Amino acid sequence: MTRVRALIGKELLDLRRNRAALAPVVIVVVMSLVLPFLIVIGIPLLTGESLGREPDLVKVSDVGASAASASLTPEGRIQVFLFQQFLLLFLLTPVTGAMALAAHSVVGEKQGRTLEPLLATPITAVELLVAKVLGALLPTLTISLAGILFYFAGIVALAAPGVAWAMASGRSALLVLLVGPGAALVSLQSALLISSRVNDARAAQQFGVLIIIPLTVLLVAQFLGSMWLSNAALALIGAGLFGIWIVLTLVSAALFEREAILTRWR
Amino acid sequence: MITAANVTRRFGARVAVDRLSFEVGRSEIVALLGPNGAGKTTTMRMLAGLIAPSAGWIAIDGVAMTRATGAALRSRIGFLTESPGLWDRLTVYENLRVYAELFGLSSADREIRAVLELFDITDRAAERAAELSKGTKQKVALARTLLHHPKVLLLDEPTSGLDPEITRGVRRLLEERRAAGCAVLVSTHNLDEAERIADRVAVLHTRLVALDSPAALRRRLTTGRLIVRVVGDPATYLGEARLIDAAAAVDGEALTLSTADLARDTPRLVASLVAAGAQLLEVRPEMPALEDVYLHLVEDL
Repeated sequence: MTRVRALIGKELLDLRRNRAALAPVVIVVVMSLVLPFLIVIGIPLLTGESLGREPDLVKVSDVGASAASASLTPEGRIQVFLFQQFLLLFLLTPVTGAMALAAHSVVGEKQGRTLEPLLATPITAVELLVAKVLGALLPTLTISLAGILFYFAGIVALAAPGVAWAMASGRSALLVLLVGPGAALVSLQSALLISSRVNDARAAQQFGVLIIIPLTVLLVAQFLGSMWLSNAALALIGAGLFGIWIVLTLVSAALFEREAILTRWR
Repeated sequence: MITAANVTRRFGARVAVDRLSFEVGRSEIVALLGPNGAGKTTTMRMLAGLIAPSAGWIAIDGVAMTRATGAALRSRIGFLTESPGLWDRLTVYENLRVYAELFGLSSADREIRAVLELFDITDRAAERAAELSKGTKQKVALARTLLHHPKVLLLDEPTSGLDPEITRGVRRLLEERRAAGCAVLVSTHNLDEAERIADRVAVLHTRLVALDSPAALRRRLTTGRLIVRVVGDPATYLGEARLIDAAAAVDGEALTLSTADLARDTPRLVASLVAAGAQLLEVRPEMPALEDVYLHLVEDL
């Protein structure tokens, strides 16, 4: 644990001195913040067209509406529905943002010629890989969570009365605290697994980004109302993602070939 | 302390190290010499537990290096890699701090201060590694290698590219480590360095070509020539020298002669020169430079 903490500390220090590496994460978070408010609050305000007049939106917003939404106006229920969907955008933030960091991690150490002295310490492959994933995830997750706080603050300030309260549901907590980090861990671990098998960060990044596809499918399905995931389903998905991460970590450690990395990579 | 027994390492069809056997004892410095591609770095990596031998075995302090023992044994080894391998964006202190934690040092700050003082880089602790000169980077890498007080030191080209003053400091440090009971294996291209610091020299060319003290290695290539310097004109004593070697000659201010048996002929020559009234300044067999021995050994392969 000490060694994992030491290496995470190093990763965080390194990022603090290379803030440009986190710029894409900040940009995605800002976009995730601006876009929902533009659609849910800005456009109806500019056009004078209330969202509650759209029969399709009224219909879809009733799907999976919580008890807390029942007392809201149709406009308020639609806002809850849309803000819930846009919350999924924040799931993608740690994935997209940390991907480059994770994909570059092992390759970067090798190219920087820092891997060999690191491997000459008592650190194990599992410790190295866990530290690398968490070192990439923690800063991006922090930025993403900060974005979510602003998101909720914006809802409190700008949305219809009661919308923020209806949003503060178990569903939101599951998405933010379980599904999001779980998806990020699986994605980053995949990138790291590839990163320790190829000597090109770009290849690792391309493979790691594949995890975004099922997340995007989930997002679109939610929007179309064709698939509404219950809280139990979300909890199951979250737990499943953490399980997959553990398995992936063990597979990565088994496939981590110190010898090949040291002797064949250039 | 360091044992390599019949160690072979293959990369595909290529044999990088072939049936290498040697030991480095406590309080001993062994220099590993060899041309590029001779297997020095592969040997170092195997001894450091970074790559496994294809055949044979390695032991550190009596414990066989295996997958199970590797992590524990690595904590007893200080491995200086060919490149300093510092994290550029971290300061000197931060680089050392991470390694202190990786090695589980309980008094990390104290140990870091000690190695910074040892290498006289305390005032550089807050500088980022990227800003350091090559020599200072190497000092930091050496400091990192000694941070956890390893009893086994594996140093790959420790003085490569360093100025003479720092090089001398590194040599002094190795002698101190030897005095402290460490087993030190130094890979080097610098024959002068090997001769100065090593108790024994291992010449590697995929397989172990020679392993002996520098003096013993030089004796292998002895020319059988004697150099004699006397007070006054050496030509005065040419007659005495020619009793041993008819082809004896004056070479500058010395007499030179060859003999097939130095042990037999040197006392005879001295006796006859003294009898002839010569005041001897020096009588010595001509010894080849270690470089000549090394080239002779390597070129013979």
